[in-house]
Amino acid sequence: MGQNPYLPITMKVVKNQIETEDRNIKTLVLEFLNKQDEENFKYMPGQFAEISAFGHGEAPFGIATSPTEPGILKFSIAKVGCVSKALHLIEEGATVGVRGPMGNYYPIEQFKGKNVVIIGGGFAFTTLRSLATYMLDEKHRGDYGDITVIYGARNPGLLLYKEELAEWEKNPNINLVTTIDKPVDGWNGRVGFVPAVTEEVVKTSVDTYAVVCGPPAMIKFTLPVLEKLNFPPERIITSLEMRMKCGLGICGRCNIGPKYVCKDGPVFSMAELKELPPEY
Amino acid sequence: MSKVIEEIHAAARQLLEDGKVDVVIGFEKGTLPLKATPCFIRSPQEVEKLIWDETCDNNLANYVRQIKGKKAIVAKGCDTRALVVLMQENQVAREDLYILGVSCNGVINRKKIEAETGEILSAELAEGKISVQGMNGSKEFAFADVKDDTCQSCRYPNPVLEDAHFGDKVETGNQEVPFADVVAMEEKSLLERRAYFQEEMAKCIRCYACRNACPMCYCNECFVDCNSPKWLTGGVDPAENMMFQVGRSLHLAGRCVDCGACVRACPQGVDIRALSRKVTKDCLTMYRHEAGVTLEDPPALNQFSTEDPQGFLVKE
Amino acid sequence: MKISKDKWGQVFDALASDYQMLAPKEDKGEVNFKRVNCFSEVKQGYLNTKLPAKALFFPQHETLFTYQKEGQGITVKNALKVEKTIAFGVRPCDARAFLLLDKVFNNDQYRDPYYCDRRDTTLVIGLACSQVAPTCFCSQMGLSPVSTAGTDLLFIDLGEAYAVEAVTEKGKEFVAKLQGLEELNAEDQVKLETLKNLQTSSSVDISALTEKLDSMFDHPYWDSLHEKCLGCNACTFSCPTCHCFDITEEFRKTEGNRVRSWDSCMAPLFTKHGSGHNPREDKKARWRQRMMHKFNYFVHNNGDIACVGCGRCLKACPVNMDLRQVIDAVNKAELVVK
Repeated sequence: MGQNPYLPITMKVVKNQIETEDRNIKTLVLEFLNKQDEENFKYMPGQFAEISAFGHGEAPFGIATSPTEPGILKFSIAKVGCVSKALHLIEEGATVGVRGPMGNYYPIEQFKGKNVVIIGGGFAFTTLRSLATYMLDEKHRGDYGDITVIYGARNPGLLLYKEELAEWEKNPNINLVTTIDKPVDGWNGRVGFVPAVTEEVVKTSVDTYAVVCGPPAMIKFTLPVLEKLNFPPERIITSLEMRMKCGLGICGRCNIGPKYVCKDGPVFSMAELKELPPEY
Repeated sequence: MSKVIEEIHAAARQLLEDGKVDVVIGFEKGTLPLKATPCFIRSPQEVEKLIWDETCDNNLANYVRQIKGKKAIVAKGCDTRALVVLMQENQVAREDLYILGVSCNGVINRKKIEAETGEILSAELAEGKISVQGMNGSKEFAFADVKDDTCQSCRYPNPVLEDAHFGDKVETGNQEVPFADVVAMEEKSLLERRAYFQEEMAKCIRCYACRNACPMCYCNECFVDCNSPKWLTGGVDPAENMMFQVGRSLHLAGRCVDCGACVRACPQGVDIRALSRKVTKDCLTMYRHEAGVTLEDPPALNQFSTEDPQGFLVKE
Repeated sequence: MKISKDKWGQVFDALASDYQMLAPKEDKGEVNFKRVNCFSEVKQGYLNTKLPAKALFFPQHETLFTYQKEGQGITVKNALKVEKTIAFGVRPCDARAFLLLDKVFNNDQYRDPYYCDRRDTTLVIGLACSQVAPTCFCSQMGLSPVSTAGTDLLFIDLGEAYAVEAVTEKGKEFVAKLQGLEELNAEDQVKLETLKNLQTSSSVDISALTEKLDSMFDHPYWDSLHEKCLGCNACTFSCPTCHCFDITEEFRKTEGNRVRSWDSCMAPLFTKHGSGHNPREDKKARWRQRMMHKFNYFVHNNGDIACVGCGRCLKACPVNMDLRQVIDAVNKAELVVK
């Protein structure tokens, strides 16, 4: 971000599309305006950026693209307030501001040579898409063992990135398991909550990392499943949400104990979280 | 220890022993000279901590919403008016309150003393006099001179609603001109008033001590925190500060009981009452109503009578 | 070395044509740092400024950048303007706070140019205290009314003159060029000795505080501490080491500003998520955060307690929440053995 980490670069909105059937989540595809901006924006899966809807404000969003997808950045935005509403309404061709990349990233170095189980629920799948896409890329695939993705949503319409999911279904290099909460006409896939499906699908924790992102309830019930399989807390990775403003660890808003989620996170292992006060 | 304080101790002790209340909200001695501090007594052994004197300057009605269950509260005249308004607005149930009403001669405004003596090192309260040793010198003050401005023009020194009474009733002298301070401000020219408020608003640092000290300000989301629409951006220029103070005064129309807690809470010495007193006077003039005087009389802006001024509704 | 107040006044006035001079100035009974044009405007004989000196580098409200909408495009313009500045009359407590804030605004990953550029282009001339108030407790916090930490040079008031002590390289350069310096005579030396022995007397004890707090997150003490707190921002805004801020937008038709302004962890909505979830939903959690941040988390991150003992918070608090009492209570709290 250079000299002044508060100054955003500007990017063009090339696509603004509805991502979920309830229209609560839309995905923005942003294009870098010049090569220099793109070069300065070297990022890794798990990081986030602060997006400015000029005239409304700025908010943090996980980067859904992987660095293996050049020229663009993708963000999925849930409509919860002032800024997200403005981003939902923004026209293709308009300009937004982007500050980033911020935060730490999924410990892919540690994943090398290991199996990775990615467990996601609902809207929390954004940075998990980045992670899976990165690992699946032909330049990297050989670095990792088995890749399993367990992704659940309340109903089929609420699953994000349906195109990618369809591709991964066909891809022998990844074992994708999607699930929905209750049976729905036309859905031929699994039915069941993510923790239960995890229990069915994941057979061992040997040489395996688990990356878990989802609503608090999902995490609460998935953790015991992983612990039963003897995943040690160092090998259970998650990404936290927090209210943020500066994204630089300066404004003091996003701390959990001595750690700032924007700067020391948002990716934490369960082992690290256990050291922190339960205030998130 | 004065008789009044002993009586308050006895009453509080009885209430807690009988289980009539879970907590007694009162004052105890603070850590700074001439400053009392709110305290929450939950066991009969602790009632000795309670004090009552001219340093008890907070409006304890502020706490009744956050404390669940049955509570006793030490309340001066203005505080009881605040309790009445809170009851009328369904924020506290009458049966949950045991009001220990105290007649009040006024509270000290420490800033008036510190303006002359610097930071107060020690002080002694005696009959109508306060001897102060400050960092910039010593002085003896007449209580009347360092009484808070609210108390100088107080018309309700005795509780308007109570379950027990303490202290001798205080006579209110007949005020020749009620709201004389507001009248004086009204008589200034627009330019003079603007200059005055510009100066006052330049002092405000938007700490919201005034709002948080006020029993009537209890909105879950205050308009200053509202995002859509974003009324205020957080700037501290006189214009934004004015918007905040004016907004708050208007939201208090017909509800402000003129207890002065806001002014005493303000670390910057902003003349907050200048605005709220004007709104209070207007309510009295237009609607013949004063907030919190009787439980039966609902807040002015919650009721309508055909005698209300209607120039803005009906072509007269 | 010393310089007479008269000579210093002349130097000061001459510097004012080259530098932005910021010094304590009285306005309607309140003393605060303001831009001054001559030494006669500087307040003499006061305890401390009402608002802390952090406002010199971290103003309560400032524009970060401006932007213009042009068709569908937007141009962003940095609004930071820095001028070379001399801050005169910073008390040791506020100066020490600068060193703490330096670690926040220039952390292991990012450098905040708004704070840092101002800091780099400002010469801090500290002014040692000649008196202490009963609410001061800087000595108990590891500094003293005459400490030099955070200043570039320190002036000590000898009555007719200031004793001058250079502290940093910047300070030494300044002193080297200072006209009118004289040697201290015997009487000066005696005065200086007495002044340098000035300490605050308070029973505040921080020696075991951080470690105690390590085990106190779930302690019942937090249940009662917060009750009388109003949850306003008076303490945080008066504090020289508090640094929380909010970033918001000001917008008119086709142009706007991104601004930042002081905020406070005591405010109920400070940590509320867009989803509605609030990790610190009640006053108890917020008061605990205040104590833990200043006396524990900051120590783990930066090696120092984030409090300089200036006493402003307990003087500003409308309900007399007293940090000294809280520290004492934490020290005395019995750890619940699980």
